[in-house]
Amino acid sequence: MTDVLHPRPNPIVAAMYTLRDLDADVVIIHGPAGCGFMASRRLEEAGVRVVTTGMREGDLIFGAEEKLINVLMHVEKEFHPKLVGIVGTCASMIIGENLDSAIKKAKIQATVIPVDIHGCAGPNTSGAIRTLEVAAQRGVVPQEEMERQRDMLNRATLLEQEKGMTSRTYLEPHNGATKLEVALEVVCTLRRGMSVGVVLNAKKETAFGFADVMRAVEYARKKVGGRTVHLGNLALGVGLPRIRRYAAEITRDLQAAGVDLSCITGGLDEYPVAGEIAAHFLDERPVDLRVIAGLPHAIPGIRADDVLVTDQPRELRNLIDRGFARSVGEINTHAQVMNAHSILPNELGQTIRQVVDGGLA
Amino acid sequence: MRQIAIYGKGGIGKSTISANVAAAMAEKGLVTWYVGCDPKSDGSMTLMAGRRIDTLLEQMKNQSESRYEICTGYAGVRCVEIGGPLAGVGCAGRGIIVACQALRRDYFSKESIDVIIYDVPGDVVCGGFAAPLRERFADEVYIVTSGEYLALFAANNIAKGLKNLNIRLGGIICNSREVPNEEQVSKEFSRKIGTAFTGFIPRDPIVRECENKGETVIECVPGSKQAEAYRRLADSILSNERFTVPEPMAPETIREMLRELGS
Repeated sequence: MTDVLHPRPNPIVAAMYTLRDLDADVVIIHGPAGCGFMASRRLEEAGVRVVTTGMREGDLIFGAEEKLINVLMHVEKEFHPKLVGIVGTCASMIIGENLDSAIKKAKIQATVIPVDIHGCAGPNTSGAIRTLEVAAQRGVVPQEEMERQRDMLNRATLLEQEKGMTSRTYLEPHNGATKLEVALEVVCTLRRGMSVGVVLNAKKETAFGFADVMRAVEYARKKVGGRTVHLGNLALGVGLPRIRRYAAEITRDLQAAGVDLSCITGGLDEYPVAGEIAAHFLDERPVDLRVIAGLPHAIPGIRADDVLVTDQPRELRNLIDRGFARSVGEINTHAQVMNAHSILPNELGQTIRQVVDGGLA
Repeated sequence: MRQIAIYGKGGIGKSTISANVAAAMAEKGLVTWYVGCDPKSDGSMTLMAGRRIDTLLEQMKNQSESRYEICTGYAGVRCVEIGGPLAGVGCAGRGIIVACQALRRDYFSKESIDVIIYDVPGDVVCGGFAAPLRERFADEVYIVTSGEYLALFAANNIAKGLKNLNIRLGGIICNSREVPNEEQVSKEFSRKIGTAFTGFIPRDPIVRECENKGETVIECVPGSKQAEAYRRLADSILSNERFTVPEPMAPETIREMLRELGS
């Protein structure tokens, strides 16, 4: 396995996001005040209350069970939650904090999911898997659903090791190619009466950001002609209720924009395998220009002339270094989509519209 | 200032030796500190007339000031128990690091002290328990053993840790369990790991009797042969000038040595 030097998401943050997917009302980080700080901000934007036990030096030595009990009781009194998640951190887990014991002593009404995870526990997906396992044990998620998601997460880990952010020793951030050049290519292809295929292969809420490419390409087709094909991992009946809701809201907006999905490749949490279905579809029905948004590296057989749209600067570096020069970045996607209920305009989509409306192509 | 750490297998008699050696050094007029690092915090009781003192970590937890109550025991020995969490919670190793840092910052760097003796629990089980050495709070080490296999095995394991940390070993102390050829075995072990044999403490029921009274042997029966043994050991430590990074034995050869010498 490659030794990876660049910073990347860890299991603690993955556990926090998974608790959000489970519709937890409150996430308690059992650790130092700064741990998970940036992720907490985003989750709060998504409507999840995030609090910390704020462990200090003395708590490392004597344990912090009392603090956790007090925070649980405070959370119950203040927020009246139905579902609470406790996420361990390096500090609390290394000293062997007993999350279950604190939950029993706090005696709160809410269902509590204790996730005994820390930053050294392996790939970030291990935090998501552990959260789902505990949720299944406590009846919050069905066993079969947990097993399906665990399989997907393991596939995602492999994908990253083989082709993604953990496949290289060091990836320097890159902002991607300019969007104007790519937008011109899209519009010119359509204007020539040729076909553009758009694949949405996005992870969960990020689809709210990437799906705008579909709307923009369809907008261009209506204005300049050509043909379009749209594929997306937007299955309405796959995943947790929150994830299904994302798919429904995005599908609603796409329909309103006249985007007709030729192929549903899977659910929004099935991006590690949905790309294979998209690739198979496009092999059978080739298009002149392919635009792949979300996690393009999950599509087998991506080509050097494909337009690839993703949000992680290191992923952009990875794609560009591998010869995919038309890789463009929607860098702010994750920050913008956290409480989205409708598709958000993105930069490439707006550029395509501007090219069409401004007569640049 | 001599900063000495006493290591050895759990139950081998480190605290008894540390307290008696501290008492013997203090009797000579040396400004001596005893720092107990065991979370049980019972090592200094014989220096404190059988009284358990408030631990440093408890004091640090309960107050924000950086001056703590440092108790003075027999012959003026300044006694500190670092303390730690209740069994099964927290991290005692982290406690040792934090407390040793506080002691150095607030006391050892400011006061005129001749000898500090760190009485360190059991084996070097985590980074925290190595802190007195790794952070150079102590700069010389003595390992207490007996002629028994498990005690020698633990001593050898500690020697491995010292080698790993490039720490100087002052020597081996044999606290007798009355096994055959014990002194000879301990001396041979010392030779094999490349260090000095610092001293032999005979087994004597008087030690237990003194502990039952809450006193060191030095205080309780100052004229006894056992007290003399502790005084000799203190002198041996004070006069020691030979410090070497040990070369631990291959663990399987310890039994071989015992088969040759231990019967």
